[in-house]
Amino acid sequence: MSDNLARVLRPNWDNTPDQVQAPDTPDQVQAPDTRHIEIVSTRSQRRARPRIVYALSAVAGMATIVIVQLLLSVGISQGAYEVSRLQASQVELGRTAESVTEDLVRISSPQSLAANAEALGMVSNSNPVYLRLSDGAVLGAPASATGSQGGSASLVPNALLAGVPLVTQLPQGTGQGASVGGVAAEPSAKVADVAPKTAPNGIPTPATR
Amino acid sequence: MATNTRSSRRRIAGTIVLLFAIIALFVVKLVDIQIVQADTLNAESLGNRSVEQPVYGSRGDILDANGVVLAGTVMRYNITLSPRNAAEFTRTTEAGEVTVTVAQASAEVGALTGKTGDSILQIISGALAKDKSSDYAFVAKAVAVDVFRAVDKLEIPWIYFEKNPSRVYPDGAVAGNLVGFVSSGGEAQAGLELGQDSCLASTNGTETYEKGADGVRLPQSTVTTSQARNGGDVVTTIDSDLQWYVQQVLAKQAQATGAAWGTVVVQEVKTGKLVAVADYPSVDPNNVNGTENPKDRGSRAFAESFEPGSTFKALTAASVLDAGLATPGSKIVAPYRYLPPNGANVNDSSGHADLNLTLTGVLIESSNTGMSKFGELLSDQQRYDYMTRFGLGKATEAQFPAEDSGILHAFENWDNQTKYATMFGQGLTTTALQVSSIYQAIGNNGVRLPVQLVEGCRHADGTMTEVPATAGSQVVSASAARDTADMLEMVYQKGWLAAKWNIPGYRVAAKTGTAQMPDGHGGYTHGYLVSVSGFAPADDPEYVVSVSLADPVKLNSSAASAPVFQEVMSQVLKKYRAVPSGAAAPALPGTW
Repeated sequence: MSDNLARVLRPNWDNTPDQVQAPDTPDQVQAPDTRHIEIVSTRSQRRARPRIVYALSAVAGMATIVIVQLLLSVGISQGAYEVSRLQASQVELGRTAESVTEDLVRISSPQSLAANAEALGMVSNSNPVYLRLSDGAVLGAPASATGSQGGSASLVPNALLAGVPLVTQLPQGTGQGASVGGVAAEPSAKVADVAPKTAPNGIPTPATR
Repeated sequence: MATNTRSSRRRIAGTIVLLFAIIALFVVKLVDIQIVQADTLNAESLGNRSVEQPVYGSRGDILDANGVVLAGTVMRYNITLSPRNAAEFTRTTEAGEVTVTVAQASAEVGALTGKTGDSILQIISGALAKDKSSDYAFVAKAVAVDVFRAVDKLEIPWIYFEKNPSRVYPDGAVAGNLVGFVSSGGEAQAGLELGQDSCLASTNGTETYEKGADGVRLPQSTVTTSQARNGGDVVTTIDSDLQWYVQQVLAKQAQATGAAWGTVVVQEVKTGKLVAVADYPSVDPNNVNGTENPKDRGSRAFAESFEPGSTFKALTAASVLDAGLATPGSKIVAPYRYLPPNGANVNDSSGHADLNLTLTGVLIESSNTGMSKFGELLSDQQRYDYMTRFGLGKATEAQFPAEDSGILHAFENWDNQTKYATMFGQGLTTTALQVSSIYQAIGNNGVRLPVQLVEGCRHADGTMTEVPATAGSQVVSASAARDTADMLEMVYQKGWLAAKWNIPGYRVAAKTGTAQMPDGHGGYTHGYLVSVSGFAPADDPEYVVSVSLADPVKLNSSAASAPVFQEVMSQVLKKYRAVPSGAAAPALPGTW
């Protein structure tokens, strides 16, 4: 393999061994001149060759992507904590809403309304009388209310109202919304903070003319 | 030179073989991990960081006609503890770290859940006695949010919470007889809860999410493995305010007269919708155990049938009029005792001389003998057909669970006495609903409409399904119905209770009934079922009110039920702004 290329292929006429003829002696190897020859690429070849700039920009691009992705994922996980915190607070607020809604629904039950109305001295009149506007006729026999049906005791039980005080039994100065339910003292206290203040002179009356 | 080449070749080959071997090893391992063991490994890894939790579908609400919630779902919480982990712990307070003993912690939890600290200690020791490694015991079931929060704030490490969606009935016993209730396990037990369960029922779903080491949910990791589905809302025709009023009035009178039970039905004449169905006694679904008698836990208006008595005479009169065999002025002589040729024996409730009565007069006097003389103008089959067309002998269209159909034997099986007894409301049974339905048909010009308790099942997207049919059927002719209404108005004006049930300003048509109550052994008890049924305004009927009181021992006549009728009808007319009647009622003679 280290043969010189300039070997002459000719017939071995005199039957002498090949080796004698072998030209590969060290003096022969050093014989060729030592001029440095370089293959010079053509201009088009040079142009086609990738430039270092491209490699650099590709690597830089990849690095940027990696960094951006890292930052994004940091951002997302930061957001996860935020989301988690907000979700927890949403659950809490949902519970508060549920609790006060339950209180509201409970005290809007007919039993509660009737008992409270009665405690405030209201009576129901089951004797309707109508005034017909067309001729001013009074239909029905006017009579004063005989009192509430069923006396003071509610005969239609509601276990949810156990321990819920009537409006007249509320301690003075608690304002609206306070202590609507027996067990609901805490959330309703929150409600009290945001509840509008009671009008100083009772319910405002519209000026009707 | 040659050896050199050979060894280098071998080296290269060796390297290649080694390389391939390593690659093959990697490939085998890769296939093993990625394909062969993929599922188990995935599951294992997911198990370490993923959390599965139930997503509760919410059972639908039961609403009244105005959207008032009669039954709703709320989230309640079970408080549980781990007995084997119950030990003292340190709590960080403002004053520093405090050691809290088990007894202290129990007392704190007990104070919030309405128990004693000792009873909670007993729960712990009891569970440990049964099983040393017990990890689960109930402290309190279904506590409200406020209790849950307060206990949660104690931060006791061995106390745990479970969600427990529960039913709440904000109006208590108002319509409790209709709404029914569910068991503590969430199984529908009675009433609409049971009857409309297919609409109300929800399905729970599950979701999994992955959490980090600090327990925070990883973003984008939530997977809903099965979707939770909320139940639909059942919209009823009941008006909860009126229902309350009616229940209150009924309970007051039932208690005052010592009645065993009572029912009031308020029905719209022109739609067949039930506006109120009151029962006494009735259950508070929030406290079912507070009602001992299982019959008191349902609705007798639907579930109990009884012999209606004289309120039934309106049906017989309408039938005779429709068949054209009599008019309101047709005359008969009503004796105290009437012995028809077939061997039956009919008598009136109290002794009297022979009375010259018209059909109107028969109703005013509520004469059994007089009604028999009109009723026998029809064949048994004709009367039976009228009864079935009025809806007797089968449950109403309300489709209430455990509804009674009443007993109406085929006319071929009527014995001689029953042939006559069925003319004045004995020998057959009806529910309060069926009686109300008879008067609805008479008030609505002879068109009987299906009894309607439920408007339908409303889904989340607002669509209504299971809307009941509303097509009516002409039971008797409009003129027969009109004449019957006029006669019933005479009963209201001239009957013996005229002063008790007077509603000024309105024309009312009503009829009393006093029926003997079967004792369940083929005979009759000493008690009576007293009733009043009627509708108003008589000139343009809007509402039927039907009152029944069973065995009012202190006032054993329909005088016991009349005040209830008066109060309820007044309230109904007032509430719905019924226009007071203008013209006076047509006067029909009762005697001749």
